Amino acid sequence: MKMRFLSVAAIVLLSACGGGGESNSNSNAAPDSSNSSNANAASPSGDRTESSSDTNTQDNVSSGSQADNTNEQSDHQSNADGNESSSEGNNEENEGAADNIGTAPIVDLKPPGAVLRKGNEIIINSVVTSPTENLTYAWMQVAGPEATLIGTDSQNLTVILPTTHSVEKDLFTFSLTVTNNAGLSTYVETDIESVNAMTELQASALLQQATLGATLTEIQAATGLSEEEWLDQQILLEPTYHTPFLENYPDRENPSHINRIDAWWKASLSAPDQLRQRVAFALSEIFVVSDANTSLKGEPEGMVAYYDTLLKHAFGNFRALLESVTLSPVMGVYLSHLGNEKADAERNIRPDENYAREVMQLFTIGLNELNLDGTAKLNDNNTIPTYSQQEIAGFAKVFTGWTFAYSARWDRPSRNYTLPMHAFSDYHSMEEKALLNGDIIPAGTGPEESMQQALDNLFSHQNVAPFISKQLIQRLVKSNPTPAYVERVASVFNDNGQGIRGDLAAVIKAILLDDEARKYSSVLVHSGKIKEPILTKVHLWRVLNARSELNRYYTWNLSTTYGQGPLLSPSVFNFFRPDHVPNELQGLGLVAPELQIATDSNMIATTNGHYGDLVWRMAERKNTLNPKTIYMYGQSDITMLSNNGLQALLDYYNLVYFAGSMSDSTRSALVDLDSYFARKDAVHRVAQLLYMVSLSPDFNYQN
Amino acid sequence: MPYSNEQSRRAFLSLCLKGGASIAALTSLQLQALASSASSSTINDYKALVCIFLHGGSDSLNMLVPTSGSERVDYELSRQNLVVTEPITLNTTTQFSGGVGLHPSMSALEPIFNAGQLGFVGGVGTLITPTSLADYKNKAVPLPGHLFSHNDQQATWMHGQEKVSLNTGWGARILERLNQHASFTSNISLAGANPWQVGANTTPYALNKNGITKINALKGYQPQVDHVKSIVDRLLSTTTNPIQDAYASRLSSSISNVQNMNALLEQAPTLNTQFSDNPLSEQLAAVAKSLSISNHTGNKRQIFFVSLGGFDTHDDQLIRQPALFATLATALSEFHSALAELSLQESVTTFTMSDFGRTLTSNGDGTDHGWAGNQLLMGAAVNGKELHGTMLSQQLESAIDVGGGRLIPQFSNEQYFAPIAKWFGLSDIEVSDIFPNLTNFDASALQLFR
Repeated sequence: MKMRFLSVAAIVLLSACGGGGESNSNSNAAPDSSNSSNANAASPSGDRTESSSDTNTQDNVSSGSQADNTNEQSDHQSNADGNESSSEGNNEENEGAADNIGTAPIVDLKPPGAVLRKGNEIIINSVVTSPTENLTYAWMQVAGPEATLIGTDSQNLTVILPTTHSVEKDLFTFSLTVTNNAGLSTYVETDIESVNAMTELQASALLQQATLGATLTEIQAATGLSEEEWLDQQILLEPTYHTPFLENYPDRENPSHINRIDAWWKASLSAPDQLRQRVAFALSEIFVVSDANTSLKGEPEGMVAYYDTLLKHAFGNFRALLESVTLSPVMGVYLSHLGNEKADAERNIRPDENYAREVMQLFTIGLNELNLDGTAKLNDNNTIPTYSQQEIAGFAKVFTGWTFAYSARWDRPSRNYTLPMHAFSDYHSMEEKALLNGDIIPAGTGPEESMQQALDNLFSHQNVAPFISKQLIQRLVKSNPTPAYVERVASVFNDNGQGIRGDLAAVIKAILLDDEARKYSSVLVHSGKIKEPILTKVHLWRVLNARSELNRYYTWNLSTTYGQGPLLSPSVFNFFRPDHVPNELQGLGLVAPELQIATDSNMIATTNGHYGDLVWRMAERKNTLNPKTIYMYGQSDITMLSNNGLQALLDYYNLVYFAGSMSDSTRSALVDLDSYFARKDAVHRVAQLLYMVSLSPDFNYQN
Repeated sequence: MPYSNEQSRRAFLSLCLKGGASIAALTSLQLQALASSASSSTINDYKALVCIFLHGGSDSLNMLVPTSGSERVDYELSRQNLVVTEPITLNTTTQFSGGVGLHPSMSALEPIFNAGQLGFVGGVGTLITPTSLADYKNKAVPLPGHLFSHNDQQATWMHGQEKVSLNTGWGARILERLNQHASFTSNISLAGANPWQVGANTTPYALNKNGITKINALKGYQPQVDHVKSIVDRLLSTTTNPIQDAYASRLSSSISNVQNMNALLEQAPTLNTQFSDNPLSEQLAAVAKSLSISNHTGNKRQIFFVSLGGFDTHDDQLIRQPALFATLATALSEFHSALAELSLQESVTTFTMSDFGRTLTSNGDGTDHGWAGNQLLMGAAVNGKELHGTMLSQQLESAIDVGGGRLIPQFSNEQYFAPIAKWFGLSDIEVSDIFPNLTNFDASALQLFR
């Protein structure tokens, strides 16, 4: 409809101009511009330059205002070029026209200066400096998604910009032709752009993927921003490291295991840099270390320092992350390359292969050769292994000679668990080391240089981008990304647009801004994931301001209650595998990693955990509070239920807990639940409602 | 309420699941109705399999070691500082050159072995077809996928076959083949999800090691409980996509299974056998408790899965391995006592699996991922006091060493599984159907049962 309107407008404009100037018939402007108007109908933005230069072959005078316009739009290269050439042309025409007929109006367009949002109503003012009377105005949209124009024949145009339909910004071009009573016209254009203004629900959906569980305040702060603006803000925030939260156990001289859990809670609940916290948690499930049933349980400072390493590099470069992880003494202890020695043939000792194997299988490239889209490369229908025992032996030699920093001697390790490991050349294998893709570290290469070459070799492998990108998508957005989505993100991993490989901030943005995550155009059936149980708990605790009077978060039984916890994996293979296909989904070929821990005992324990928090430990139900106990604070919910009623409370839950995906049937079940408790006090009703929210499929599925 | 036929049993079951009937104080017959389904097969006896998975890859070539002769010399040369000294000499029925010595921290198993209720399987591992060193080096035969990788080799052991598009575990397959999988109580895990117990139509019921698990929201004033349960059921029955539905159906079945299991476990007798508080003993205690109510569940066949982690002894092996072996032996010994108390020694066979064996060479204070290893199985039906298979030579660079002391198995794990499946009740044809590579081997090479 719009395009038809534009064509008509163009023809009207041309005939109006044609009446004013002889030269019009000398040029081929009329048929050309007619053609180009038709072309506009098919592809408005692509023909913009051609269209405007055609129009500028009229006997119009507009050089001054065009130049101003060019300055305003200097960030748009093609447009600036177009204007330049047309300005020159106009200058030549100007002299002839002035001699023959007179002066055309001088027009300047003044679009709003502030950031424009999709859906905004804006006014584009025109300033006509030509002292002529009886001017006529004809506004048009030349390019961009269809906008509603009001007052196309008045001096100032009102535009209602279209609402959000994509994560990308919209680019528009509007034109104004001003004609004076002598029939002389001036044509000018202006470009504007509009960015998204997230609604509350859109903000909640983004923050569900990009935070540890957003509060209403956080959702409202993101509302009105574009997705990219919010992400950029988050990426620029100072990291909230966890080490400052690590306190000593009461009446002890040192922190203990539970203090590092306490630190994780305090930081996770309060940190403003929620995107970084969420990404670090995701990384902790790829670069797994654990102090569950390992000697690391006695090293809380080291464990927290390791988590801080993940936080530090969350938006840095993957290569730096890989090196920090590899040199972490906590990882060195966990995968036993700390203290690993070169071969000693006499004692049948050869280098420990543990880290060599897992750094390839789990941290960088995986077992099989991958396409950029994350699917397996096949050779005669068989997968192609990425490495053999030869490369494992080669990397095992690389990871020899490393021990705790500031160790006086190899056999007198310092046991400093927070600083990067330090190498002793005497214990490092100087043999030739076989790497991936046939690369070799020559004999005689020392520990530091070998480490650099080996990590460069790993980092340059083509599998890294799809292998890591897909897992990050699965941790943040969805279990079953399409190969195309993986490829889009992996491409950004390989090159962030500035020739840099491994830029994790760019990768995270690509993941969260992708249409498969934001869902503006395509609606895919398998669009989400099961939420991790521990993240449902963090979300509830963040929203309900969970705290104890002693400000302690001693959650002793996370693993047995939720099947997981920070840095508590039962093995380096994480709580669940990214390719886990639960029995229910075998026929569909869908993975659902999080369901690997959804066993009967874990599911019951998780719902019992939520019940304990939400029903038994709702602070407003208590007359006295135990200073050690962590309570939920539901006062705002209680007030809302009392003052605004149940539907208002459910609207709020739909926003904060469901990101808009509370189905009608879930809502009606919650209404019916509440009807039973209607005679009880509001706090009781809120507690029961929250518990039912916590186990509902709509809440546990991140869509 | 009488439950004389299948129809009323189902009606009653349905009533229970809808929360319409309390499950407190049910009769034995009612409990049986709750737990069982129409297993109208011809099986009359009761049997159960208990799989103990040793996670991480047990250095089982240090569980059984040579005690004398050139075999011992080779062993000490290859193992160096990780040598097991003062092994317990086992008087196996078959004599092996170099003898058979048991790790001294497993002394708790010696009396069970001598009583003929414990046997070992030597030199077993994942194989697709018999494989020589030349075959391995020349890639002349198909090899198991991703040898020496934890999760892949765990999966191969538990699947009892190489990865295919739809993977099932051999524990679940033999249960399903005998049509004994209908009740959730037939397939119980004390160690969470695992591939061994996942079949086309069965998945393990994950039992909490403490047994009874109360559901907080469904306790107390009965009308409120009923109302809450009805809302839960509504929520869990309205889903919009298959992944969400998988979550909902799991939670739904978890709730009903836990309630039903609680009712069953409340009938369990108190055992005199004392179990230690190590993780494996705790799991086996829960298995013993479940077995104690097997007359209530109505199952003719059950499979159980327990696991002990920590066998990935890349370092500190001299400290860690004796502790792990002691835990394994202690737990087995306690479980053996409990089975005797329940008079289930003949009916229950317990056996081990692990990711892989480990390297003969050391990395200083530990071992790395290897291939062939040794396993054990326990029960009165077992052909005990015997080492089945072979004592592998622990000489480096031997004809079965693919490098670093990673030894080629001389028996495939499917040869190990086949007699177990046969004891469980499968015919030879069914067994070879369950284990696709068995045809490449002598299916009756290991006479593991009497």
